[in-house]
Amino acid sequence: VAVDVSSKTGHHSSGQHSSGQHSSGQYSNDPDDAGHLRALGLSTGWAVFSYLIAGMMAYGAIGWLISRATHLAILFPVGMLLGLGISLAFVIHRYGRAEAQAAGTKARTSGEGRNLRNGTDR
Amino acid sequence: VTGDIQLAAAPANAGGGCHLFSGCGYPAPGLQDFNFRPMFTIGSFAFTKPMLVALLCTVGVIAFFWAAFARPKLVPRGVQNIGELAILAVRDQILRPSLGRKGDSYLPFLVSLFFFIFVNNLMELIPFFQFPTMSRIGFVWPMVAVVYILYLYLGFRHQGAWGYFRNMIPPGVPSFVLVILVPVEVARFFIVQPFTLGVRLFANMFAGHLLLLIFTLATWYLASFTIGLLFAVGSAAMVVFVFLLELLVDLLQAFIFTTLTATYIASSLEAGH
Repeated sequence: VAVDVSSKTGHHSSGQHSSGQHSSGQYSNDPDDAGHLRALGLSTGWAVFSYLIAGMMAYGAIGWLISRATHLAILFPVGMLLGLGISLAFVIHRYGRAEAQAAGTKARTSGEGRNLRNGTDR
Repeated sequence: VTGDIQLAAAPANAGGGCHLFSGCGYPAPGLQDFNFRPMFTIGSFAFTKPMLVALLCTVGVIAFFWAAFARPKLVPRGVQNIGELAILAVRDQILRPSLGRKGDSYLPFLVSLFFFIFVNNLMELIPFFQFPTMSRIGFVWPMVAVVYILYLYLGFRHQGAWGYFRNMIPPGVPSFVLVILVPVEVARFFIVQPFTLGVRLFANMFAGHLLLLIFTLATWYLASFTIGLLFAVGSAAMVVFVFLLELLVDLLQAFIFTTLTATYIASSLEAGH
């Protein structure tokens, strides 16, 4: 996946290196926070979208293959729903928690997480 | 003026004499407006207008940067000023936000990519060209292929083939979850992600060209000394609006494609987890 939400947002927010996380240090001196947030938002948004589609696709395909073998047509939609569920769980685990962490580490003025307007308060 | 210009973009069904109440109906634009008669053929290879536009854009971009930086001065003058502005814009708005200072060696690639896409997109608004090359998906897939090959190559070189794929899934995940996630990751990485990268650009340019055609053809079709004239004026206003909108979309799509390329490179250079 394109970028690590938690460490970079943490960087942006307070300049602290959150322990236990991969921190590249390449953004700490970056003056262009708005640009950084924009790239982050863009890649995260498309990554989440891709995960949701990919989950349905992968498990839909598996379900379809099994349904062909067993002649149980119901397995195709069941596979798609299962895939969607797995994707959703993963997205929440991966990105939802990262956002919560990032929000927790910063005394945000108005809690506008990935919002571009955030770039104006520097 | 725009109406007449854009009309020429739809030679297939321009319906020159077609007006309201003349009984021939609105010549709706469609897929046929994206197919061009070959300009010339070499064996089975047919050279068409989109190819010409793409070639001219390539030559134009090369010529511009050549003129700007063939003999660079410490204190930039003339074209070099604009060239530096262009390069700095890509560096500060696209490259640095994703890759940081370490990524500066990828600047030539990203600048070329951005301006190639941008100029090709702009061609939908420029008279006589008036066709966005990227609305033919055949022009998009090779670029996606180039980006993906670079993406994979850098990932393999910096993380190793196995480590690269291993790093896609966050560490500390139980092995049974890993097994569940592998199909999702494979589908995302090899199908959905390249598909969205290419189709996003293609679909935006395709829809933009179609929108411009619809309203310009409608302006021409409705223009007459009847009540239709009122609608023609409205349609002409829409042409101006869509024209300005497309100016934004052209820039935005080039920006998004390049930004996503930069974030892909960033994720290949180091594990994102």
